[in-house]
This record gives sequence, structure tokens and C-alpha cells, in this order.
Amino acid sequence: MTVRHVILGLLAQQPRHGYELHAAFQAISGGQELWDVKPAQVYTTLARLEESGLVVQEGTSQDAGPEKRIYALTETGQAELRTWLLSSIPSDAQRDAFYVKLMLCLALGDVNPRTVIQVQRGSLYQELHRVTALRQSADPHTELARMLFLDKVVMHLEADLRWLDMIEARLDDVQQQPLPQPERRLRGRPPKQISTD
Amino acid sequence: MSLVETQQLTKVYGQGETEVLALDHVNLKIEAGEFVAVMGPSGCGKSTLLHLVGGLDRPTEGSVILNGHNLAALDDTRLTAVRRQQIGFIFQFFNLIPVLSAQENVSLPLVLDGARAGTAAQKATDWLTRLGLEDQCHRRPDQLSGGQQQRVAIARALISEPALVLADEPTGNLDSRAGDEVAGLLRRVVDEWGRSILMVTHDPRIAAYADRIIFLKDGRVIDETRLNAASVGEADRVKEKVEAL
Repeated sequence: MTVRHVILGLLAQQPRHGYELHAAFQAISGGQELWDVKPAQVYTTLARLEESGLVVQEGTSQDAGPEKRIYALTETGQAELRTWLLSSIPSDAQRDAFYVKLMLCLALGDVNPRTVIQVQRGSLYQELHRVTALRQSADPHTELARMLFLDKVVMHLEADLRWLDMIEARLDDVQQQPLPQPERRLRGRPPKQISTD
Repeated sequence: MSLVETQQLTKVYGQGETEVLALDHVNLKIEAGEFVAVMGPSGCGKSTLLHLVGGLDRPTEGSVILNGHNLAALDDTRLTAVRRQQIGFIFQFFNLIPVLSAQENVSLPLVLDGARAGTAAQKATDWLTRLGLEDQCHRRPDQLSGGQQQRVAIARALISEPALVLADEPTGNLDSRAGDEVAGLLRRVVDEWGRSILMVTHDPRIAAYADRIIFLKDGRVIDETRLNAASVGEADRVKEKVEAL
């Protein structure tokens, strides 16, 4: 659960109120265009972290508007953050919504799989243009980290596009093979052996 | 006949109040063996143009004729076939497959298309030789320099012999020296092997490698300039034009 840990990290930096946390979250995760976290998500996560004793309300601040509750990290929160920082993040690349959709499309047979690939390719290119434009507007002297992150996004999009080319090229072969089926597993007791003699 | 011809090419995104006119009745031609760059401020429609010419999206109005095929009239299966035979894409990153040799990376598109292994390998070797990599055929990407990897990626884009190569900010993430190297290679793709290139770029220095630059603004072609690659100072001339937009 990354949102949770990013919030812990931002509170370890300094105590903050919800509104500040939301802004800091978007800034550090590459900008709103890349990870549009909703304020509501920040507030509900904060509430849950408070319930679990990882953060605590430290006071309130009131500039001009309504009173704002300021949150800080507890010792348990510190420990949790450190564990997260030192652990690896599992890759989500193995779960692919498009792949499942394509398989279903092949199973159902009433939509042209080439259309499905074409639609996906179009949207990946759109996304590629968008991210490339973002990258070009970044300032290499002050936003190097963000630029490198955008490079990663571009690399992934381009890899996905290449993969679409590969599966499209082999589509006829794929269609000639049986679709993946669940393994047959026997349930309950094995049937009685009927003796034939 | 031109290799590419767009007729009243128009693309509208969204509907009602959120409607955006990304391309507005654009007519342009790209000849066989011509290197065309497209420039313009962000949101001018240059990516949309590349998108439509590449058969990745369908126009709202108008048409794209690629080598005699009206892309809008093709169903998805035939569009896919035309796109794969006629168009090559050059990406920003090389994305070579690390466990395959240079030659295997280059021959992959042919192998996937069902070509015989021997034929594909021979063609890959030919392209790598043309790009000066004859001694590196059996090296893996991690044994090649950045510039060499780039040449492998270009060989891969050319092996299926596309008539048109599309490049979207091909030098987007490169420093200026590496950017010049790629632009120089694209120039050779046109001059030596007779392909056509349609390239979107924001960099006047890179655009100056083209034969012609099309300037887009608000979805329309507002200017067009022919370049003389042999003369110095073309980049400055392009820069002035871009700044005037």
C-alpha cells in the first residue's frame, strides 16, 4: 500500500495537515499528470493511520480559513516507514488487464482481436505523446529526478507498444492454439474402482 | 503519386463544450525519398498528424492516402497489414532485447512474421553492415555503446523495408551530440536507402536535417519551408521561424 507509506514518509519529514500532505504527495510522486491522488484518499488514509496508531494529531493551525488538524508520525509509524523503505516493491507488470481482455476476446470470437490491439495501440501512442510533452517541459537543471522518472514512463509505454507488435504478428498462430483452460482437478473422494472381473 | 497524401484531414476530440479541433482540414504530401519535419507549439496537432498518417487513429473527416491505400477505407485487419508492411517506427529508447544478439534483435520482426531463420539472419547482417556494425553482429546490447545500440534499433525499424518511417521526437531524451548522430542516421535512411521520414520535433537543430519543414498551429499548416541541407545556418533560420510562431 504505497499511499499509506508515502504519507508516513512525508510526515517523517515534518508534521503537516491534510491539505499540505495532498500537495506534497503530488509533488513528490511526479506531478498530478502522473499520479492524480484525490484529497479524499489522503484524508481517509490519514484516519486509518491514526486508528492504527501510526500517526497522531499533534495540534491545530488556523491561518485565515477553518481550523486544520496537524498530524505527526508516532514511533510505531517510524518503524513501519523504515521497514517499507528497506523492503522491495513488488512489480505489478505481471498482471495485465489488456492481456486478459485480449484472451477473452479470442475466447468469445465476436470482436476482431486486431481491432482490440489497434485501439490499445492508439491509446498507448496518445499517452506516449502526452508524457513526451511533459518531459520536454521539465527543466533539466531543477527537475532532473522527474525527467528521469518520465523517461521510465516513456520506456514502459514503448515496450508495451513493441509487445503489441509482437502479439499482433503472431496472432494467427495464437488463434490456432487452444485457449488456456483451468487444470482439471478431481474433487472429493476418488471414484471407486469397479472391478470388471 | 506521392507516398503520403492527406486530404482535408480533420480530427476532433471530445464532444460539445469539450470539443477540441486537433487538426483542421490539412492537405499535405510527402514524396518518396523525402524527409519531412513537423514543428509547432505544443497542442498544435503535430502528434495527431503523425497518429493519423500512421493509421493509429481514424480521422473525423478527410483521408490519408498511403502508397495508394486510403487508410480510412480499410477494415482493421487490412489496416493492420498495410501499417505493418509500409510503416516503421523509430522510438526514443532503443528497447533492445538484452538476451538477444544485435543480429537477433534486428531479425526479430521478420522472424515473427514467419520468415525463414536463415533469410532473416542474412537480411539483419546486411542492414547491420550498412550501418557500420558488421563486426558487432553477435554482441548483445550490453556489449555495445549507446550509439551502436541506436544503430541496431534503426536497423530493426528498417528490416521490414517500410516505405515510410515515423519518428516522434526521436531525439527527445538525448544530449545534443547523440541527437545529431540520430538525425544524421535518419538523413542517411532517406539519402542512401530511399525511405521517406515524417518526424515530429521541437528542436530546430534536428529539424534542420530535413528536406522540408511543415509548421502547424491550431491544427492548421501555417507555413512551410524547404531546406538546403548542404548550407550552414539552416538551423538558425528554422529557429527564427519557430520563434516567430
